[in-house]
Amino acid sequence: MIARGRLISIARKEMRHIFRDWQTLVVVLVMPVMMMFLYGYALNADAKEIPVLIEMPSPDPETRAVADKIDASQLFAVRGVVATAADPAELFKLHNIKALIRFPPGFARDLRRPGGTRVQVLIDGSDPNLGTIIRNAAEPLLLGATLQVLGVEQPKVLDLRTLVLYNPEQSSALFFVPGLMAVILLMISALLTSVAIAREKELGTMGQLLVSPLRPLEIIVGKIIPYVFLAAVDGLLIMTVGRLAFGVKIAGNPWLLATCSLVYIFTALSIGLLISTLVKRQQHAMFAALGATMMPTVLLSGFIFPVASMPLQLQIVSHLIPATYFLEIVRGIILKGVGIHELWRPLLILSFEGMLLMAIAIRKFKVKL
Amino acid sequence: MEPAVRIASLAKDHAGERALRGISLDIPDPCLFGIIGADGAGKSTLMNILATLTDADSGSVRALGRDLAEEFPAIRKDIGYMPQRFSLYQDLSVGENLDFFADIFGISGKAKADRMDHLLAFAGLQTFKNRRAGLLSGGMKQKLALACTLIHHPKLLLLDEPTVGVDPVARRDFWSMLKSLRADGITLVVSTPYMDEASLCDSLVLLHEGGILAQGPPAQLVAAYPFDLFRVEASPEARVTTLNYPGSQEPPPGFALVYPSGGSLHAAESLTASRRDGAAVTAEATSEIPGVQSEDRFRRLRSAIPQAHTVTRIEPALEDCFFALLSGRMRMGPKLPPDPAPAEAPPGGES
Repeated sequence: MIARGRLISIARKEMRHIFRDWQTLVVVLVMPVMMMFLYGYALNADAKEIPVLIEMPSPDPETRAVADKIDASQLFAVRGVVATAADPAELFKLHNIKALIRFPPGFARDLRRPGGTRVQVLIDGSDPNLGTIIRNAAEPLLLGATLQVLGVEQPKVLDLRTLVLYNPEQSSALFFVPGLMAVILLMISALLTSVAIAREKELGTMGQLLVSPLRPLEIIVGKIIPYVFLAAVDGLLIMTVGRLAFGVKIAGNPWLLATCSLVYIFTALSIGLLISTLVKRQQHAMFAALGATMMPTVLLSGFIFPVASMPLQLQIVSHLIPATYFLEIVRGIILKGVGIHELWRPLLILSFEGMLLMAIAIRKFKVKL
Repeated sequence: MEPAVRIASLAKDHAGERALRGISLDIPDPCLFGIIGADGAGKSTLMNILATLTDADSGSVRALGRDLAEEFPAIRKDIGYMPQRFSLYQDLSVGENLDFFADIFGISGKAKADRMDHLLAFAGLQTFKNRRAGLLSGGMKQKLALACTLIHHPKLLLLDEPTVGVDPVARRDFWSMLKSLRADGITLVVSTPYMDEASLCDSLVLLHEGGILAQGPPAQLVAAYPFDLFRVEASPEARVTTLNYPGSQEPPPGFALVYPSGGSLHAAESLTASRRDGAAVTAEATSEIPGVQSEDRFRRLRSAIPQAHTVTRIEPALEDCFFALLSGRMRMGPKLPPDPAPAEAPPGGES
């Protein structure tokens, strides 16, 4: 059914196209590394040294001691102390702060009264994540600092001990490296394959290939071989950069990871192939491939937002996306170190999706124009 | 002997329009066969069907003794097809393009090397073997495309407007290559919008709106021209020497057609009705025109074309035949009944 010589000649021609087009090479080799560093720094959720201002009408020793403790915390950096904040909004703009902590006059005096006292914290809510972090951190911090100043022991009622498994340091690299694997392998495979086939249609060379003894399967397989290779190179690249730059180690079997990645690449290639049978222009192929791979993978696979917190309709979509299953596999192998025994189900679904899509793509591939 | 291609009642809709309306045609073997017609006449549709890239809606095609619809995988081995656009890989070199096409046709080893050398020499591209195809001139690109379509010794070569956008010298070279292939016994089917190229073919078919308007060897078409033809030129001293005749303007009395041709005008004078009708009418070969009649012609032409200076009787060329055929005032082929009333088509003023 497939003649090896013709297959090799198509694959070799495709390789020549790739190596002569520096744009493709940039997409394949530079983009994954760039994305890793971008995600590596952008996704760093650990907030530190948030700039705050303190309003202190009566600078008695107690109030100062509490303010010092705020500044000493890793979370906040006190930018200054003002006696009165007549226009808090103006202070936010002027000093570029994220929060204003307002002690009342007579803070030290009221502290020791039965009714206690009040401290107001104004938070810049324009960044909701940061706002939440400040809100959650402010109360325990202020309460702890005040009690310490008063020399009062906090009564121990409940001692909560949490232990984080699989990613004990809560490093964001362990979170984004598997996700990027899923995104980049899918993108390289689906995008480049669909564009490569659409290019032959756009240039009119597909007609030449069809009016030859080549069989559709030979054209398809010959054209995708180089992209399997490129995607595999990218997988290695991501793991290497992850290891060297972000300290991500594979807890499980690397060969199992490689095998599962090949299955995922196969599925991604069939998506690209299916797209290429439906469009005639490179640009359409590009938009279709990006729309069909990038967006759902980033948003719905569980890469960034947990699948469990999605509405039911989106959860259903999420369970159709190959990346969802691949993420389960990659996180399993890299973080938990689990083996095929735990991963056969997502692997099976992934293979099934790949074969189904490939069968549809081959059926839809037109022998005529 | 069976013709190289036999087309019977072939019809095809394209984009909701009738691209081919039941045409029948024999292309002898071997032959340099020309398909001519305006854009949208159905040339490319016919080519795509012959190349097995498109299916016809009805009718049948037999090529090289096989049915095209049923045996297209087998026929593809014997067909060379050169599409309208340059369709080689611009980022591959001349040699790599040839090499790739040799590979996919299963030609390898010494046979491949010999064939490539032969075709590079044939196309005059030996010194450009390592040059990227995208960097070749338009004419050389077409020669390379031709060489690639010849790699597997096709018996039938289909060339869809191969010389559009190619300079005249390269066009001449290209056609001498086609002539030599024809001499080697290959059947070539070439579509072209150029009349000078059409006259180089062994036989022609003129397509118009998906139908066949005329067919036959160029000499036979020219011989069937039913009018007396005159060239009308402006005075060489005139400020504007290029004459024009608006297509919307009726030809002068007694004339069937007036249209521009190479800066001057061609005026076709209607002959008697009996001579105009019927198949295969031969034009009168007299170059002597009786004096009175001649003056009358001048007068009528001059009153319609004020700038007219010289009027010369000329022999019709293929181009004149096509203007006459397209205007509906010349009919060809025994299958068409003679048209009793002159068609009211406008004079072919546009080209």
